[in-house]
Amino acid sequence: MNDIKSCNIESASDNAIEVRTVKKKFKVFFDKGQSLKEIVLFKNRNHYENRWVLKGISFTVKKGEAIGLIGENGCGKSTLLKLMTKIMYPDYGDICIKGRVSSLIELGAGFHPDMSGRENIYINASIFGLTRKEIDNRIQNIIDFSELEEFVDNPVRTYSSGMYMRLAFSVAINVDADVLLIDEILAVGDANFQAKCFNKMREIKSNGTTIAIVSHALNQVEQICDKAYWIKDGIIEEQGEPRTVIPKYMNWIMSKEDRIELKRNEELIEDKNEIIINDKNIESHQEIEELDQDELKEIRKTGQEVEYGNKNIEIVNYKLINLSNNQSSIKFSCEDSAKLEVEYVLNNEMVDEAMFSIAITRSDGVMCYTTNTLIDTGKNISLKKNGRIELFIEPLQLMQGEYIIDISLTKDYGPIYHCICNAIKLSVYNAKSDYGIFKPNHKWIIK
Amino acid sequence: MKIFKELYDYREMIFSLVRKDLRGRYKGSVLGFFWTFLNPLLQLAIYNIVFATILKNGIDKYYLFLFVALIPWFFFNGSLTGGTNCIIGQKSLITKIYFPREVMPISHVLSCFVNMLLCFVVIFIIVGISGVGINILAIIFLPLVWVTQFILCLGICFIASSVTVFFRDLEHILGIVSMAWMYMTPVMYGIESVPPKYSFLFMLNPMTPIIQSYRDILYYKTVPQVSTLLHALFLGIIILSIGYLTFNKLKKHFAEEL
Repeated sequence: MNDIKSCNIESASDNAIEVRTVKKKFKVFFDKGQSLKEIVLFKNRNHYENRWVLKGISFTVKKGEAIGLIGENGCGKSTLLKLMTKIMYPDYGDICIKGRVSSLIELGAGFHPDMSGRENIYINASIFGLTRKEIDNRIQNIIDFSELEEFVDNPVRTYSSGMYMRLAFSVAINVDADVLLIDEILAVGDANFQAKCFNKMREIKSNGTTIAIVSHALNQVEQICDKAYWIKDGIIEEQGEPRTVIPKYMNWIMSKEDRIELKRNEELIEDKNEIIINDKNIESHQEIEELDQDELKEIRKTGQEVEYGNKNIEIVNYKLINLSNNQSSIKFSCEDSAKLEVEYVLNNEMVDEAMFSIAITRSDGVMCYTTNTLIDTGKNISLKKNGRIELFIEPLQLMQGEYIIDISLTKDYGPIYHCICNAIKLSVYNAKSDYGIFKPNHKWIIK
Repeated sequence: MKIFKELYDYREMIFSLVRKDLRGRYKGSVLGFFWTFLNPLLQLAIYNIVFATILKNGIDKYYLFLFVALIPWFFFNGSLTGGTNCIIGQKSLITKIYFPREVMPISHVLSCFVNMLLCFVVIFIIVGISGVGINILAIIFLPLVWVTQFILCLGICFIASSVTVFFRDLEHILGIVSMAWMYMTPVMYGIESVPPKYSFLFMLNPMTPIIQSYRDILYYKTVPQVSTLLHALFLGIIILSIGYLTFNKLKKHFAEEL
């Protein structure tokens, strides 16, 4: 009898999850015979390679703790979660979980389009292992949470996709479990509903449920999890508090992108030498992708200075000066004026003009202001070998808070020469008690 | 034993899958649930025309003789050929959610079983119309035969559902096998028409004693022989054991293979 190895956590221990040197391999077929001849001859049928996706992972999770598994695509984190839910089984090692497990990997499992929302709640919840009585007790909560009261007796096929997901999520999140395993699903519905889901997650956590999350949304991991595990190439690369693990992971991702860019640039330079030698606009062929919004947000989170670009022009020095005392500073009153000084060197003689941009973002992610020389002056700045750019902000007009300034030199909106995110962090204080996000120039006239 | 507790915890899933299957099956069709009865009746009409009207086999009230065997056969056939699809057809569930994998074949067989029980209503109506009448003492044995057949069908479904995951050709092979199997089982004819030298082969067929028992109870109005019942139960338990062991061995790799 090949029963699943039963494993137990000692009842005295307060561990909810124990993962012990878990290894998992997949068979990767090089060429699965597709043609009739190959199938008949069984040619290449057994031509495969074992790929180890998990190479020995161990950790324990205490009861009531929340952990986040992070890592790039294909690093094995989702596989690990599947092993924990017992959808798959490890080739080596074992995983023990104490208590009832509920997994939010697939939403809306077993939904039947022709049946009503209410009937589907019963089907879906039963798949999570709830009994009829348990579902009866929860059904009102589920319906309330989904905000679909008036539609709940309509067939699910008449639902919009957002409604569908809301219903599915409501069922999943109302399954009371001792251990909750979640794979990348908090991105459901509109912002309002997402916030609601998020609060519910916190509530579940505060009720003592142990949670394991696989996510690319690093801010969610940071906000919910007590511990983060960065999985790289099938092993745990870093573990610890999300605040320390996530920046390391981000740095690695960034440096990896840099390496890819560098390689791409080298290739392009080789191409250039071969084909077009005297083309002045050569650098416009170099495509360096800008970071997308999500990545930028992540960088903001870490608060660390992150730079990228091909450095045909390089920002070598920058500082912010408080004009009220003419000193380099990061502390300002909202009525102070500021001057930003940026020095650059030209590394590539073929580049002769560029655009300088600045962005001011509040620490909670609100973009306050962004502009560039092209918008303000209508033309690019012509470059010198060593140059200096000065920007006066008179007065600052920002209200109390922490702000971050990003600076960049780019060619129009094309290739990035040098961009520094989180270049300057400044804090603004307000001596008066007026309040808001922005202080317009104003004066009162009372007649 | 752990599996029984787990299946008990997941009983609502089994029931709701059965409900969904029975209700969802004819959803959208005009006649709806009525097809549950109409389908076997139409098949009965076809077989009756071929074997009673054209071939003239001389069996008294052949339609009843046939029908009491045909309905249980449909149950068996559904478990066998339908069973091939009950894991691979639920890919999204199997690869994404944990639940005891046994739930799938069990709920499939249960749904076929409930379908058969509903058809027994039609059988009783036909028994009534035909004037054959009912032997109450014999009818008491009917649930016993149902349970026996359920055990057998579950075993068959365990095998068919799990092996198909790794050997997809089985689905097509079983299409033919089930047809051959029907003709090798005394459904359309009586066991007495089988040449004696082949009868031991028929006795290895687990469906033979089951069909015989149904026919004894409903057509011949006699209590089935204890030896026939034990024979059926014995084969059923063997098949269920083999089926469960096979399923249990293969189920760990379902998610990877799908």
